[in-house]
Amino acid sequence: MTQQTGKSMFSVQFIAAVLVALIAGVAIGFAASGLFAPPQQQPQQPAGGQPSVSKKVIQIGFTLPLTGELSSIGKIWEKVAQMAIEDLNKEVQAYGFNVEFKAVILDDGTSVEKAVSNVQTLAQQGIKVIIGPAASSQVKAVKSFADSNQIVIISPSSTAPTLAIPNDFIFRTVGSDAGQAKVLAALAFQEGARKVIVFHRNDEYGNAFADFFAKEFAQLGGKAVDMPYQAGLSDYAAEVNSLASKVQSEKADAVVLIAFDTDGGNILSHAAESNVLSSVRWFLSEGPHGAAELKTPAVGAFAAKVKLLGTRPLFVANPLYEQFKQNLKQRFGVDATVFCDNLYDAVMLAGWAILRAGSNDGNAIRNALVEVAKHYYGVSGWTIFDSAGDKANQDYGVWAIVKTGAGYDFKDVGVFERGQIVFTEEPYP
Amino acid sequence: MLPIDQNTILNFLFYSFFYLLFAVPLTLSYRTTKVINFAHANFITYGAYVAVFLNGLLGNKSLLLASLLAFLVSGTLAIVSYFFVFKPLEKRGASMSLIMISSMGLWIMYNYLLYMLADIAHFFSGVNFVSYGRILYTDVPEITIGSLRLSSGFIAVCATAVGMSLFFYIFLNKTSLGKAMRAVADNPVLAEISGIQRDKVITFTWLITGGVVGVGGAIWTSFSGTVTPTTGDAMILQVFTIAFIGGLVSLLRTGIGAFVIALIENVGISLLNAWFGVPTSFRTFLTFVALLVILIAFPPLGAAGGLPFRYRKKRGGAK
Amino acid sequence: MIDVVGFLISWLTFLGIYGILAISLNFESGTSGVTNFGKAFFYGLGAYIGASLTVYLFLLLNNIDVSKVSPFDVEGIVYLGQFATKNPLLNIGLFILSLLLAFIVAGIVGYLLSYPIIRVGPAFVGFTLLSTGELFRIFVLHYKPLGESKGIMSIPHPFAWIPNPTVRTALYLAVVLGFLALTYFVFNRIYNSPLGRTLRAVRDDEVAALCLGKHVPKLKATVLFIGSGFAGIAGVLMAFYLGSISPTYDMIGPPITFNVWAMIILGGMGNLTGSILGAIIFTFLDRLLIFVTPNLGITVFSPDYIRGFLVGFLIVAVLLFRPQGILKEGKIETLAWKVYEEEVKGEKSG
Repeated sequence: MTQQTGKSMFSVQFIAAVLVALIAGVAIGFAASGLFAPPQQQPQQPAGGQPSVSKKVIQIGFTLPLTGELSSIGKIWEKVAQMAIEDLNKEVQAYGFNVEFKAVILDDGTSVEKAVSNVQTLAQQGIKVIIGPAASSQVKAVKSFADSNQIVIISPSSTAPTLAIPNDFIFRTVGSDAGQAKVLAALAFQEGARKVIVFHRNDEYGNAFADFFAKEFAQLGGKAVDMPYQAGLSDYAAEVNSLASKVQSEKADAVVLIAFDTDGGNILSHAAESNVLSSVRWFLSEGPHGAAELKTPAVGAFAAKVKLLGTRPLFVANPLYEQFKQNLKQRFGVDATVFCDNLYDAVMLAGWAILRAGSNDGNAIRNALVEVAKHYYGVSGWTIFDSAGDKANQDYGVWAIVKTGAGYDFKDVGVFERGQIVFTEEPYP
Repeated sequence: MLPIDQNTILNFLFYSFFYLLFAVPLTLSYRTTKVINFAHANFITYGAYVAVFLNGLLGNKSLLLASLLAFLVSGTLAIVSYFFVFKPLEKRGASMSLIMISSMGLWIMYNYLLYMLADIAHFFSGVNFVSYGRILYTDVPEITIGSLRLSSGFIAVCATAVGMSLFFYIFLNKTSLGKAMRAVADNPVLAEISGIQRDKVITFTWLITGGVVGVGGAIWTSFSGTVTPTTGDAMILQVFTIAFIGGLVSLLRTGIGAFVIALIENVGISLLNAWFGVPTSFRTFLTFVALLVILIAFPPLGAAGGLPFRYRKKRGGAK
Repeated sequence: MIDVVGFLISWLTFLGIYGILAISLNFESGTSGVTNFGKAFFYGLGAYIGASLTVYLFLLLNNIDVSKVSPFDVEGIVYLGQFATKNPLLNIGLFILSLLLAFIVAGIVGYLLSYPIIRVGPAFVGFTLLSTGELFRIFVLHYKPLGESKGIMSIPHPFAWIPNPTVRTALYLAVVLGFLALTYFVFNRIYNSPLGRTLRAVRDDEVAALCLGKHVPKLKATVLFIGSGFAGIAGVLMAFYLGSISPTYDMIGPPITFNVWAMIILGGMGNLTGSILGAIIFTFLDRLLIFVTPNLGITVFSPDYIRGFLVGFLIVAVLLFRPQGILKEGKIETLAWKVYEEEVKGEKSG
């Protein structure tokens, strides 16, 4: 209980110092944002030569999960966002617009409050379109602010059915999982599975997907046993154990895995060690697609053993997507994973909508966005929105992990056509 | 039929050994330094990432090298934290809650620092370090006993955990430095009077804490399917739970706690799921219930627990 | 151009809510010695009680059959959105009811938890409460009537009927700041009273307090009752502000507790004004850096990492520079003290 006596002068000075530092910080902050992010009109007169026309700078905000549970996806998205802005600027200038788009990328740590804080602060800087956040819980929390302040939010990855609300400012460039569940159910049934264990994340994505899947699978005549696992853990060996015993006790012939990339990779690595799990079929959702962990020899061999197949949103033989993948690898050194195409198109749509609206009014941009999306075909296919602001049309493809010369890689091996899975090639001889 | 197969038992042992490696040093550090250290999560993650960087940037496949380096890096991290933060705060008479919050600040700092390092490494090498797969090491053998296949990760962690336990036992009971450590833990004032240099002992304690945990993190990369910068953070609650079961003072109790929690997490949840339909997503729920039950039913010794004497119900008239 | 008004409104609302949490935590841990590591638990409990009650009653009172239309599915959510602007009294009434109920329930739960806490001993109080918080969160994650993993959405804002969004949020900010003032007033009065003095005695030396005849367990239980009650209120305020709550780790889990602890230690344990100062520094710095970090032109790593790094660095730096926090503990000024000051000091100068 040491109370410092006679130090009141010191503490007053200290408080003063803190306040001065805070004020200085504020000043620096405002100055910096004014210095580095030039105001909308910036006339430039270079010395001598021809007068160059002033370029209007428009900022698009991004709130991405650069840390936290979704950071493995978020880091790749950051590169996709940068590439998208570059490509957007090239195209826009080719059309003769004298405009330059600039990305303001913030990290929201996969946390709800940070996402809200990011969106609010971006909006208060004058940004009217924000790409992200990634998680449905985050989108829900920013919704009321976005609707009140007319900020257009485009999420490339949130698939919660409870966000399919019409007439709001939330748009999602990714199709509902209801469609994908139908395809996954058809795939599993067609491949001979009649009793499956649905091993899924216990969050809104996993639960909704599992529900849809169970319904569709039951309609086809199969039986699905629900098995949720807690998301966000660092390792899932214990869960995989329980899965193995469940498979045995229920005498299931397949496992349906609904996961993201880090937990999916973790689970498959552990499943590869289990004899029980290596003797049933495995069907995956789109989450683990593209994850580097699935290209390791252990998982690759496991995939061949269980004839692992997965579904994912895909417009079949979309040359734009192939080009996009190549560009991303060449220019930024990363492989395109899940939702990268949705993100890329979200940025494109945002840019063109802002230009079409011609003003900084949120409402105008929203209406323009709907119109632009109607006529746009991008790397994720046709981007038209439905009445709730979500991607209306989505095709799905089937993927597998095949052995190539250099190891293992992902390959799209089939499509969903008229209620049936049609294989374009035989993945596992 | 018991839904337990050999894999379940193997995983139970795996987890027990890992928890031993992570939790026992935590108990040791608290006991000696009285600091509840949140940056402990970072010791784990940095140890794992030493192995990851060595493998991703240099193609290293030697677990021995990875472990040694991890020991050094995490140990240094611990000593740096002590030297620059904990020690000055102690000197100024800061309370334990304060030092705990400062360790929380360090936790945040180290976390973001690691993200920056992973980014920089990616910038120069093109390899994605934010999510890294399991590493197959070539210098630890795989042993197959009959139909039981013990992977190299298992051998490594088993050997290390057993080795660590033996080391601690011998060190703390037989060597003078170890006894000095116990003396500082039990009665710092008396220890200083009898000539033990508290500073040196505590520095050494931090080195061992960080080091052992770092080695555990390095071996973790051979077991886990994915390693991310949040690996340590996602585990830290469980590790603290185990240390708390040990009352934060007893290494033996912590060790028992490690096995108990690993048992509940692997075998327990399997049984509950098979017999009672408890969803597997209740795994961490069970861990915390176990903690609460143990703490309330058996308040740890040395923590001055229990209601003040006056307010306990009088038993049979005895006062 | 920066929307200063908008910035102030959004920042100050967060500040208000965290300020309430910080003051109540400071009172529990700083003044009374109950190291409460479960702040997030009572916060989440209050938020869920307020939100679920409101959402169910709102639909019921608008003549929608809740057994057929769940407030957690799209249909229910759309209804909630539609009716939110129709009946101002209903919105405000449910808001007030939520606040009251959250205070009472969170307070009672805090009171009840004090028994096992005292039993496990002072070193483990913190972690016991933290585990209880996680237990609650995982439970809610599975419990259908509380929305399980979907959380609760489209919570009708008490001022939804006001068409102008700036006025709406400014009014809500006024409410939040009002509660902050109330919290400060209540705890200040308790602090500057014989009860406050007793609590400090309990914090400093429990055994001595016991010897002097103070009923320590009951005192601690009272402290937890009031502190948790206000945490519940903060939870309701946040739920209505965001319009949705999800049982995620970062929203009602340990990170909230850790952040509030950092705020009170930065600001100074045992000093109520200090808690507000700590909350100010914390919430302001994060938002301020959003303006700076994307413009730094760093490409080798994501520049926004600096934001998080600086927050941690600030905590460590302030603590190193000034371990007791920025504002130190003040002396207790009960009515008797004021009388003393007037009489005795008056004598000396007179």
